[in-house]
Amino acid sequence: MPAIDRRKFLSESAFAVSALMAGGQLIACTAKDEREAERTTHAFDIMREVMAYRKIDSHAHVYFTDDSPAIQIDFADRLGIEKLVISRPMEPGSKGTPDEFIACNNLVLRAMKQYPDRIIGQPTLNPRYPKESMEEINRCIGEGMVGLKLYNHVKISEPLFYPVIEKFIDLKMIILMHVGIGKSRITYDPTEPPNVSIPDDFVAVAKRYPEAMFQFAHLAGGEDWEDACSALKDSPNVFVDVAGSNNDAGIVDFAVKSLGVDRVFFGCDNSFYQGVGHVLAADLTEEERKKIFFENYNKVLRKSGRHVS
Amino acid sequence: MLVDINAYTGHWPFSRRKNNTCRSRLERMNRFGVNLAVVSNLNGVFYKNPQSANEELWEELKSEKGFRDRFIPFAVINPLYGGWRNSFEESTGKMGMKGIRLYPQYHGYDLMHPSCVELVKRARDKEIPVALSLRMVDSRPSSWMDLSIGKEWALKDVVPIIREVPDGKFLIVNIANSTQLSEDEITLFKKANLLMDTSGRNIFNLGELLLTFGSDKFAFGTHAPILDDLTGLLRIEALLATEADESTRELLRSGNARRMLAH
Repeated sequence: MPAIDRRKFLSESAFAVSALMAGGQLIACTAKDEREAERTTHAFDIMREVMAYRKIDSHAHVYFTDDSPAIQIDFADRLGIEKLVISRPMEPGSKGTPDEFIACNNLVLRAMKQYPDRIIGQPTLNPRYPKESMEEINRCIGEGMVGLKLYNHVKISEPLFYPVIEKFIDLKMIILMHVGIGKSRITYDPTEPPNVSIPDDFVAVAKRYPEAMFQFAHLAGGEDWEDACSALKDSPNVFVDVAGSNNDAGIVDFAVKSLGVDRVFFGCDNSFYQGVGHVLAADLTEEERKKIFFENYNKVLRKSGRHVS
Repeated sequence: MLVDINAYTGHWPFSRRKNNTCRSRLERMNRFGVNLAVVSNLNGVFYKNPQSANEELWEELKSEKGFRDRFIPFAVINPLYGGWRNSFEESTGKMGMKGIRLYPQYHGYDLMHPSCVELVKRARDKEIPVALSLRMVDSRPSSWMDLSIGKEWALKDVVPIIREVPDGKFLIVNIANSTQLSEDEITLFKKANLLMDTSGRNIFNLGELLLTFGSDKFAFGTHAPILDDLTGLLRIEALLATEADESTRELLRSGNARRMLAH
């Protein structure tokens, strides 16, 4: 960072403030003042910090648009994100038919082929179609996908999901489930259907299947993250990702304090700057930052042997 | 040099804020290489009489020379509250505040209310900026006692006051919602003496926004301690060389803020 030119800047702007506060007497900034300001303001190279950490984006998406996934890879390149765990959930409010989820998964498969070194694909399904869902799991995992991404068609704690969860216990893979936004407002956001999963649903299913791994989606995605972390405190097999557009200054610190650093994943959900920015700005040790950016999620991938080396 | 044009001290009533005093903000600024910060007292959003919050900030700034040297205070003014003209004069006179912040959504008036227009014109006459935040927090997870979700502004919502006082100075901060403007409105923005900060979520692709509005229309801002200290900076420093050369980056880091705050 260039040396501070406080005298010049203040003479044009803030200098008048200190002058007025001192009772109208103009105070010349001394060389000693400048040296003091330089001493206390550390040079901070944010891009060096960004690039110092390996990163797996645990919550990423590909879209049915011409610029995707190239635009996601462009953001990842800028921010040193090595791998993106990409899925394509079905449209909100859709019927969630097999045709829909197969089309979504095919899009992910194409993205994986386009960027084989960068994209880890994650399938989606709808347990209301049990036969087709199990066939789709076999197809997608066979094609190299890892884990499962679910949206808001069926609550994570519904019995319809039990066979799917048991399948993923056998596969030793994590299940990422969307979470309803707006809990603090008592009623959930109008865009959320009645079947959207809420923290209590995760608590219930995690207790029923303690050997399963669940990923509670996007703490920064518009949900009440304090409520969520508080509810999930005693559910050790529920991990959280800090993806989303709401880079509230307290999210990462609160998640680590409530759940322990080992249960927190870095993620963006297409809000790349916020995803990286609020992890870097949090009050973490370097080891904790490494865990959140990379190691925690890679540890999950390692269980199925599909980790990043 | 790095100047944050959008920071606060004080409390947010619905959730705990850390790093919300001059001392703790200064520590964060030192850690992240921020030389100067425009700061207001969040309490001014919620006190019935925002002048009490301006006095609080003034007293805190007076308590330590390091605070005075590094913070550029802006007063919170409610142009519908009794004695607001005196508050404006006292804040920008005796207290030396270098700009004002308005909160029509929280203070319950329309941005085009005659008193608000008068206040903006008074600020113009003093050549000081008027800061408008498109939102303070993400409404979705905020408290049931906070503003309803529909109260958040898009960029378009501040157009009328800029059109009404086209020779004023404006800081439009926390660009959290749509940046879509008509061609006429973009022309108005380009001609106006205004800056948008980089803290908001809809600064999704700053490179494209620089092309649309011009590199003289943006400046580093954090919206801290509500938002994190680094995302606004990352949006600048992660620009590609093809999107912003070094001179443009310097404008975004401090040059545009210097131009706006000088008078």
